[in-house]
Amino acid sequence: MASKISTLAGNLDKLYEFDREPVTPDKLQAWSKFAGMFAGEHVAATEFVIGAFFVLHGVTVRDLLLGLLFGNLLAVLSWALVCAPIAVQTRLTLYWYVRRIAGPGLMVVYNIANAVLYCILAGAMISVSATAVGLAFKIKSPALTDVFPNSVGWVLIAAALGILFTTLAVLGFEKLSRFAQVCSPWIFVIFAAGALATLPKLGVRPDFSNFMEIARTKIWNGVAAAGQEKLGFGHVLFFAWFCNLAMHIGLSDMAVFRYARRWTYGFLTAFGVYPGHMLAWIASGIMVAGIGREMNPGFMAYEAAGLAGVGGLLLAGWTTANPTLYRAGLALQSITPNWPRWKITATAGAVTTVLACFPVVFMKLLDYVALYGLILMPIGAIVFAEHWILPRLGMEQYRAEKRGWIINLPALGVWAGTLIFVFLLPLHLYFKWLPGYVFAVASYTALSAFGRRAPAGGRP
Amino acid sequence: MRRRVFAVLSIVSLALCLAFPILRFLGRISVEGFRSGLLIASVAWFVFAPLWSIKPKKN
Repeated sequence: MASKISTLAGNLDKLYEFDREPVTPDKLQAWSKFAGMFAGEHVAATEFVIGAFFVLHGVTVRDLLLGLLFGNLLAVLSWALVCAPIAVQTRLTLYWYVRRIAGPGLMVVYNIANAVLYCILAGAMISVSATAVGLAFKIKSPALTDVFPNSVGWVLIAAALGILFTTLAVLGFEKLSRFAQVCSPWIFVIFAAGALATLPKLGVRPDFSNFMEIARTKIWNGVAAAGQEKLGFGHVLFFAWFCNLAMHIGLSDMAVFRYARRWTYGFLTAFGVYPGHMLAWIASGIMVAGIGREMNPGFMAYEAAGLAGVGGLLLAGWTTANPTLYRAGLALQSITPNWPRWKITATAGAVTTVLACFPVVFMKLLDYVALYGLILMPIGAIVFAEHWILPRLGMEQYRAEKRGWIINLPALGVWAGTLIFVFLLPLHLYFKWLPGYVFAVASYTALSAFGRRAPAGGRP
Repeated sequence: MRRRVFAVLSIVSLALCLAFPILRFLGRISVEGFRSGLLIASVAWFVFAPLWSIKPKKN
């Protein structure tokens, strides 16, 4: 078993070999590059759904605005105060840093978990895009409570779109990534255009004088749709904070910030989250109110901005599903040695396509986003404890690397234990991660202290 | 020089993408006018923007 894990880890190491060494000073990038990159990074097809869901969940206008303002602020602070400082000090990707801390075996487990989660996320993006294509063929969009496909037509469209996105990702990931950079400013403009053009339909006067009244009574009126849970300020705040949890608290954006000259570049994420996770969500909330609060992103985009809106939804889905499929393939490559890139991407795409046929992947998107962050968060907590707390307590760091452990058992135990702990916590799903994070940091520190008394070596 | 022209044209296209919804909001154009204008400006963006913003990959 141990030798098999070693082989898998070796395969994975080869894939990430190019960034094994810390970034050298001559490779550091200016703040403007970070600002530009973040600005185009947070407007995806899922924004069409998330903002609309806040309306359907009966969020009031006050709770929405304050929740997004402070929730996004907390997200920016998490990047700036947690993720960026570790990245700037180590100049390593999360992959190599976790490998030092938790051992190559746990890195394989982390990668596979990541691959599965990426496939579900890409599936949600394809599903959202399928509602746009379904419009042209008069295919009924799934209902809010649908878990399984509601028609053969829906399956055909979701599958066709999944195959198309996968084929394009197989044919040329890099070219598509560069094309995605062209799409991102336009997609954001489409959100703004759709919302602005919907306002007269809702009765907003050209001088904006009654905007707040309309917002309170016709958009975020505090009434949840049938079967939808009522959400408030705390839910919105936590959602905005954790929707990129794997990236900031989970530290996967170390890959980006290792190129930063200073840790303060973490504050530049505000250029991404405030347009993408505040303005775009507000815009999609306005658009869904314009179609009578129906969760049908394709219809919503068409009614708000015509064919350009439909194109915006499709491109938003495609440009974000494309790198997600690529990352899923990269993560899967550890268990598929000697497979060419196309075969791995095609496999990830096939899994994603099947998932995309199930409307539950986007109808339960808010819960999925919460779970996604929750599952990967303990790894960020383990790295945080190892990087900051262990040296302050005079404890030895990087024992897994120094002693050649395949798996750092305390780290594996903390990961599994944290997931059990948060599962049992009698809290709303959105609020579970924070006590879970504290639990993971504390338990990893305690287990590391306990482990120091054990004789060195001899671990599996 | 040519890249600069394409850059200006693409920025104008994007500005038009914003101008049409503003005109619609102010009630100066119809819904159909807004949708057609936005579509044309969008197509223009995708014609001009790649011509200056996507740089050929250096080996």
